[in-house]
Amino acid sequence: MSQQPAPQLPDPARTPLFYQRGFRSVLTQGIYVALTAIVLAYVIASLDLREFGFGFLSEPAGFKVGNQWLVDVDGVTNSRITMYLVGVWSTLRAVLVAILLATLVGVVVGVARLSSNWLVARMAMLFVEVFRNTPLLVQIVIWYAILLVGAPVIQNVLNVGDFLFLSNRGIAIPWPVPSDGLWGAPDWFVGIWVLALIAVGAVAMRVRAKRQEHERETGRILFANRWAMGVFAAGALISFLILGVPVSIDRPVIEGTSYAEGMLVQPEFAALVLGLTMYTGAFIAEIVRGSIQALPKGQTEAANAIGLTGYQRLTLVILPQALRQMIPSVTNQFLNVNKNSSLAYAVLFDDLFRVATIVQNKAGHALEMFFVIIITYMVISFAISAVMNVLNARVTAHRI
Amino acid sequence: MHRSLLRKYGSSWRTGAIVTLVAILGALALVACTSSDEQDSAAGRGNTVQAVKDSGVLKCGVKQTQPLFGFREPDGTVSGFDVEFCKAIQAALGDGVGLELVDASDASTRFELLNDGEIDVLIRTTTITASRDRELGVDFAQTTFYTGQGFAVHADSGINATSDMGGRTICVQSGTTTEQNLADHFTDLGLDFTPLGGGDQETQDAFVAGRCDVWTADQSNLASRIGVLDNASDFVILGELISKEPLAPGVRDYDSEWKDVVNWVVHGLIAAEELGITRANVASMAANPPNTTVARLLGVSFEGGEVSTLGFDSVNAQFIQRAIAAVGNYGEIYANTVGDAVPRACSLNALASEDKSNCPPGTGGIQYALPYR
Repeated sequence: MSQQPAPQLPDPARTPLFYQRGFRSVLTQGIYVALTAIVLAYVIASLDLREFGFGFLSEPAGFKVGNQWLVDVDGVTNSRITMYLVGVWSTLRAVLVAILLATLVGVVVGVARLSSNWLVARMAMLFVEVFRNTPLLVQIVIWYAILLVGAPVIQNVLNVGDFLFLSNRGIAIPWPVPSDGLWGAPDWFVGIWVLALIAVGAVAMRVRAKRQEHERETGRILFANRWAMGVFAAGALISFLILGVPVSIDRPVIEGTSYAEGMLVQPEFAALVLGLTMYTGAFIAEIVRGSIQALPKGQTEAANAIGLTGYQRLTLVILPQALRQMIPSVTNQFLNVNKNSSLAYAVLFDDLFRVATIVQNKAGHALEMFFVIIITYMVISFAISAVMNVLNARVTAHRI
Repeated sequence: MHRSLLRKYGSSWRTGAIVTLVAILGALALVACTSSDEQDSAAGRGNTVQAVKDSGVLKCGVKQTQPLFGFREPDGTVSGFDVEFCKAIQAALGDGVGLELVDASDASTRFELLNDGEIDVLIRTTTITASRDRELGVDFAQTTFYTGQGFAVHADSGINATSDMGGRTICVQSGTTTEQNLADHFTDLGLDFTPLGGGDQETQDAFVAGRCDVWTADQSNLASRIGVLDNASDFVILGELISKEPLAPGVRDYDSEWKDVVNWVVHGLIAAEELGITRANVASMAANPPNTTVARLLGVSFEGGEVSTLGFDSVNAQFIQRAIAAVGNYGEIYANTVGDAVPRACSLNALASEDKSNCPPGTGGIQYALPYR
């Protein structure tokens, strides 16, 4: 152990107070604290002035919200916060569907941009450049205009075999609804059916894992995914023979100028989801392309050398590695989908932002309402981040 | 070694802490003073008449998206029924006061504009309601336009009344009294409906495209918007009204000086119509008033007598005279802006289905000027 020489410090008695380290650090921090205190005191004083509080949210709403799905809230007896939650549910639906579709579009277009087929690659490039370089608001408004003006009015509805209807009131498609099973069993029967489905699914996953393990040990291709799907199909068939199907398909019908039964995709929802999907899909396509191109060329050559087919090369070698790079960037895009969903304001979609502005118009309390809006978007964003972080941890579990 | 450093710097640390403490206490005292000032002006002990005269500009919040009432032309000029009242108030305030027309088209932020002082008066097809008066920090002056919530339908829809609208899709402007009236009315009827809410223009586009069966808004709004469409005859405005919508200028609470000026300018223009004073003859009427009532309204002496100011010293007694000279009387404003889009059937012989609510009382209407004396 060598003795460190003591630092040569100036004599504090001769240094002016203002140049002394202790005085300076306390002074600068003190000024910071003082400024913060001023701002806080000012905010609290003006909040007090505006009768800050959230009591207004539990008063009756007095208005009705459209685009309801799986909920039926009338608004005359329900509270403002209930109506707001209906809006949150609408936003969540649009965001989830848009994220799933944008991922699909992004991966397909991103891979297509790298295709050796000239036409496919140029089409993919055109898609990316068009949707990435125009404002999302404009895209959503154009989609909505196309759906409103392009689709026939409901009196001239486009009827595809009494199965699918298309008009500017939306697209109505058949939709499964719970019903009695083979023996006319009661309601809880659906529960058994779901349990059977989960059991069959578990068996299929087990078969897949076993075969994948074998594949790794022996190097023989054992088609784990195809086997798993086969097992699942067989299990589903057996359960169908024994239990029947406690789900019936509800076909849409037209009553007057409205759709009834079935599932209705309204043009407002469709315009918002289309806009978010295409716009975000274009960005995800670029991320996918970039992540694939970032891989060393040797990966492709090695895959070719061991005789993998083009599809196998992509799914077994390229994409799993590219995924490690993609996920953080794609997470950002998913967060953007959440935030951009507020552009529903431009079409007649009652998302959480619009419902919040209706409440604000009736009750005042704009400050509180914006507070609630911000918190809601942040909670949704944090939830998306949390899921993506789990996914990220899984794909980066193996160090390479 | 660290301990020795601390010892060496100990005294200056304490000095710094004391300086900081003094700074924080000073800051808090400062905030306490300024926030109580703030409280005074926000609670409205302000005087808008004086403030407008001092700044030399009247900031009037109007709509820019509704034809005939407040509409921005492609060349950028904003005109309409509501805008005329802005001009009347500007003229009443006297020379040297300019007019700034602030865009208050967004229904959901209009009261914030008023409360935050972005505008001095809100003249934007705004309905007087008890809850707005009590909860939104706004005071209303005399109603400028009486209307009600009406319905437009497609001519071939077979809908003749709200009782035919069960299960229909209804386009409704978001953030207005309209939504609540609609929900209340259909609850009373025991009927269900599907709302499609959005901005003025968006709901109009959806209705015209056939996305919804019915479009509901103030009847005057429907008439003014459908009237300018190329295919106006494809749509029918039902006679049924489900609410009273008295549209009035709004001012900030607790500023009665300002509210009085706005209120009596509106009454003055209505009185001018009753008395036959027009933009064309106001100068000669002022020079030679036919009776004491006209003399008092215009703030001039009758046959050499004293001028009665009626207490309007802050804007001087001739403020109504200036307003009429600028925009004409109530009837002229109506004819020049709304005109035949929402005809005023000012006659006791008018049919029951014709709208005469904005007519002078002598002709069956309820636009009734309070006495100037």
